[in-house]
Amino acid sequence: MSEPIKKPTNIFKAAKTTSFYIFLTGLTAAVLLPIFFIVSLSFLSTREAYRYPLPLLPTLVTKFEMTFGERGYLLSVYDRTEKQYMTIMDTNDLKKMSVFMHAQLSTEMSVEEIETQIARLEEEDPIFFQKGTNILTNYDTFFKVAGTGKAVPALIRSLQICAMTVVISLSIGGLAGYAFARYYFKGRDALKFSVLFVRMIPGVAIALPMVIILARIGFYDRPIGLALVYSVGNIALTIWITASIFLGIPVSHEEAAQVFGATRLQAFLKVTFPLALPGLAAAAMYAFLAAWNETVSAIILTQFNPTFAVVVYQTVLGAVGQVNLAAAGGMVMALPSVVFLYFIRRYIRQMWGGVTI
Amino acid sequence: MVEASAVRRRKWKRFSTAMVPYLLVLPVAVYYAAFWLRPVMTAIIGSFTDTVGALTLQNYALVFADKDFLPALRNTAIIVIFSVSLEFFAALVLALLINRKFRGSSIFLFLMMIPMALPAAAVGAMWITGLTAHGWMNSLLIYLNILEPGDKVYWLAGNEWTLLALLIVLDAWQVIPTVMIILLAGLQNIPKETQEAGYVFGGNYVTVLRKITLPILRPTIQAAVILRLIAAIQIWLIIVLLVGFSRLPVLVERIVYYYDEVSGLDISYQMATGYTMVVTALVSLAALLFLYLSGAFSRDREVGT
Repeated sequence: MSEPIKKPTNIFKAAKTTSFYIFLTGLTAAVLLPIFFIVSLSFLSTREAYRYPLPLLPTLVTKFEMTFGERGYLLSVYDRTEKQYMTIMDTNDLKKMSVFMHAQLSTEMSVEEIETQIARLEEEDPIFFQKGTNILTNYDTFFKVAGTGKAVPALIRSLQICAMTVVISLSIGGLAGYAFARYYFKGRDALKFSVLFVRMIPGVAIALPMVIILARIGFYDRPIGLALVYSVGNIALTIWITASIFLGIPVSHEEAAQVFGATRLQAFLKVTFPLALPGLAAAAMYAFLAAWNETVSAIILTQFNPTFAVVVYQTVLGAVGQVNLAAAGGMVMALPSVVFLYFIRRYIRQMWGGVTI
Repeated sequence: MVEASAVRRRKWKRFSTAMVPYLLVLPVAVYYAAFWLRPVMTAIIGSFTDTVGALTLQNYALVFADKDFLPALRNTAIIVIFSVSLEFFAALVLALLINRKFRGSSIFLFLMMIPMALPAAAVGAMWITGLTAHGWMNSLLIYLNILEPGDKVYWLAGNEWTLLALLIVLDAWQVIPTVMIILLAGLQNIPKETQEAGYVFGGNYVTVLRKITLPILRPTIQAAVILRLIAAIQIWLIIVLLVGFSRLPVLVERIVYYYDEVSGLDISYQMATGYTMVVTALVSLAALLFLYLSGAFSRDREVGT
């Protein structure tokens, strides 16, 4: 009874809706396809990463065939592209075999495990066995190899820089954002356009003289120095974001608190601040994201203590770079960004004027 | 006596209240002076100073005489003109097509924002693994039966024109979704009545778009285009990651080249500061020109708020 009666026009409407969703899916696919490939590539074993065409997904189980060879044991591995077992090595050095499995096939088999399999060769020939692939091998290797073991300290340094940038930009930018939202004063417009002005000068242009300035105060090649540089652009953005947050909280709330005897500062701390907190958290994450992603100034402003972004940049660019390692480094770099983006997506849209669909 | 002090106190109170916003803005002013204005001044002064510290125009002469200067200028101009206009129009068309309520819009918009949130190093890793001869781009073409198995397209082996075209496409991939969301935000803020009025008075889709929607959208378009303009002049990292230094010179790439790659030369620092000033002048000029042409100075408008 309660079901709406379908009108003939609904067929047209349904077709329209369907094509709209097909269009959206196509668009999303175009945007996400490159990302899919790099995610997939970061899980591929080295052998797979150099197959052509590239496998779309990593093998989860590596299948082996073993028989007696001329020099010892003949090891073959199942190849999905060729759909058959392909010989990869002939040796009696089981240690070498185990290392090869780890480095080339992302499969962890100890010498003992291989020996257990070889024992079966007495009864049947050839033997077949399989082992689960460790798809996180590239990530493991990346942290060991990249920047010759500097990846973890660089990661810690990057986190320090991000935290300092958040504190500096939010405290300084937040005050100005509040002033912008609540007061009319000379220079208010200048503040508004400061976002534009600080971006007009290329980051590189600031970074070059900053080397000398930071060296003079002893902050060169140290996290605090980079945080000071990153905060320049971030303060401007934080002013924008916090101003729009404070503009969204009616001033009448604060006035009401003052009527009940609170000072202006108390009114801010007790009323406006808690209401603004989620937005401020988003602004903090945004600053964190920007500092995390920054690569250009970091290349110039670090020497022996690179940030994580610089380490990834060097891995991608340098001779260390196997494609699957480069992909894993890129993913480690991208993951925090995407997670933060998820948390602040609504605020980013609000910043641009509020998409409410 | 009492009254006078009360008046004084009231005056002081009014004065101190008037000071509050300035006190709130003071840290920003100090910070910008120390960590923005000062390096900028240093760069400007440095660009007019020779190796022994005397005032000179030699740095600029060196830059203008550099054999890579004109190609760098031309390549930068091509990237800026084509990528900004392509990205803007594509984003506008997409935004107009998507501008309606639909289920799943929240997740859709999130996915669209991802490319812009990716760090430069990650984007570089993505395209470098994609565009090598054995990369995923060719593999994808094989899976789609566009390429014969075993065939390859050598994406990065072409001349500078194909590289420029490739670069513009790569940048478009990263930027179009975000510009689309910015424009979508602007479209959402237009009251439906204004457009309906246009149709009531006999306008068709194109006239309503031209006479009503786009003019209202102008502040949003200005903000989006100017930020893109400034960013596009400064594209360099992806170029270096893909083809290395000097293959496809652009202005900012030259700065890093002289500063980081050949930092040992006598003229390295002079070249770097000279190029820096050229880029700064161009970015400022382009931004101001765009603001002037689009009429941002002719009326008071709010940016971002």
